[in-house]
Amino acid sequence: MLFQKFSILFLSLLFINVSNSSKKLEEKINNEIKSVFQLETFQKENIEVSEKLKISLQKDFVISNFKKIKKGDSNLGFYYVGKAFGKVDYFDFIVIFDNNLIVEKIKILIYREDHGGEIRSKRWLKQFIGKTIFKELNYPKDIVGISGATLSVKSMTRAVNNVLKSVGILHKNEII
Amino acid sequence: MKKLTLIATLLIVSIVVNAQENNQENAGQKLLSNKNNGVTIGGYAQIDYNEKNGHDAGKLDVHRLVLLFGYKFNDKVSFLTEIEMEHVKEIYVEQAYLKYKATENLNVLAGLMLVPMGIINEFHEPTTYHGVERPNVDKYIVPTTWRELGIGVSGNLSEVSLKYQAYIFNGFKSYVGGIGVLRGSDGLRKGRQKGAESVISNANLSTKIDYYGVPGLRLGLSGYFGKTQTEDTHIEGSQVGVSMIGLDARYKYQNLELRSQYITTSLTDTEEYNTLTGKDLGSKLNGFYAELAYNFNLKGEEKLTPFIRYEKYNTHAETEGIVANSSFDKDEVLVGMSWKVADGAAFKADYQIVNNAVSGSDAQKTFNAGVAIWF
Repeated sequence: MLFQKFSILFLSLLFINVSNSSKKLEEKINNEIKSVFQLETFQKENIEVSEKLKISLQKDFVISNFKKIKKGDSNLGFYYVGKAFGKVDYFDFIVIFDNNLIVEKIKILIYREDHGGEIRSKRWLKQFIGKTIFKELNYPKDIVGISGATLSVKSMTRAVNNVLKSVGILHKNEII
Repeated sequence: MKKLTLIATLLIVSIVVNAQENNQENAGQKLLSNKNNGVTIGGYAQIDYNEKNGHDAGKLDVHRLVLLFGYKFNDKVSFLTEIEMEHVKEIYVEQAYLKYKATENLNVLAGLMLVPMGIINEFHEPTTYHGVERPNVDKYIVPTTWRELGIGVSGNLSEVSLKYQAYIFNGFKSYVGGIGVLRGSDGLRKGRQKGAESVISNANLSTKIDYYGVPGLRLGLSGYFGKTQTEDTHIEGSQVGVSMIGLDARYKYQNLELRSQYITTSLTDTEEYNTLTGKDLGSKLNGFYAELAYNFNLKGEEKLTPFIRYEKYNTHAETEGIVANSSFDKDEVLVGMSWKVADGAAFKADYQIVNNAVSGSDAQKTFNAGVAIWF
């Protein structure tokens, strides 16, 4: 009996922990969207695509992480939350698009390792703002690097390119 | 019991959901790491050919082969280690530290870590610098690879584009087994304890601030302050005071790369130290280099990068109680080429001309070629 109670307690604790960390990420996502569109409430809407189209998207692009941002009936834009690899660990990032699919904001939501954390710099991430789905980004031509954080810089540039490409495919297929 | 079954079911569902979320990783990454914990494997290697003066016999060497292992316990806690094999047969632990991410801007690190001084000591993977061998300023003035046991903090302040690091480290040993180990020709280099049964009598402070708020530019200011370690602090002259200050700059614009570094070290009580030990340790050690490189893009990710570097370093910039040895006052010109064939693999070749300040002495000319790998 004691064992059972203990197990329940332990498992519940585990759940609280798991849901907490994803809740925290969700909270960060919401805060970014709020700050970009300067509003307190909004809705997120999933984007439905056929299995066939799903295959044509970039390998790393997870369609369920790409969502439409709405306020009532009006469309505000889109966002994508992705993962990329630094030197020894993943980091999480968000790309927010306006209705014309122009990058409005980009931010590193969670950076876990010590190495390469320089890419969290606001100044550096600014370079991605205003980029569109119509042009692939080239490092070091379009995106200036940071010495000492080259792995993360390249990885982030590659990840954003993947997002731009996939969003471009969705646009071409008139999904968005 | 029902409750338990329900919770167990929920747990299984959550694991399945988690596994699906991980689909975005590629096969290799999935193997090595996953969302919550896992192992990362990496490494680097430097294989060299050195030929002095054109007629002497050359030297072929697997100079360094380093294997990196990282283990992530959770999003906050990870362990990183590098096992180094030098010249095939000498095994060292180059880094081994536990990292605890306290907040988004603050990591606590403890264990065997690299001392942040200048560029190369922290960024020493051979595909990240030009030239077959590391710059000599980073050998004679900064004793690369300089690592000691300690504890510290580091973090990036993303609003202002700053990285900070501050550590309390164990220092160089200067006097062990009744003999002095530091000497004039390479300053502090022989005193590195590398975390192996190291002697500690005084803690040392090491800090570095990097600013990267100007696109393409990274500036660093490093400082290291303290005292060398001795077996017996009562033996007068067995310790010297160390203050090392470093300035470094790296700039990249399109295909152009510039980097420069200045390091100055002041040592106190060297006269007493030299008297006690019979050594010839200098009281000021200075080093400077500047490098210019240009990347020519070849097909695919291949790049050909010619470069030129000028170095000047002197381990006897000042001395106390002894006459400065002008053969320690050197300058050199290095011209060469890196041919990057993949993102982490390069062939390198360079020609090095080293002069010293002894009048009438001949320049030492060395041809180097090598392979550089980082994965």
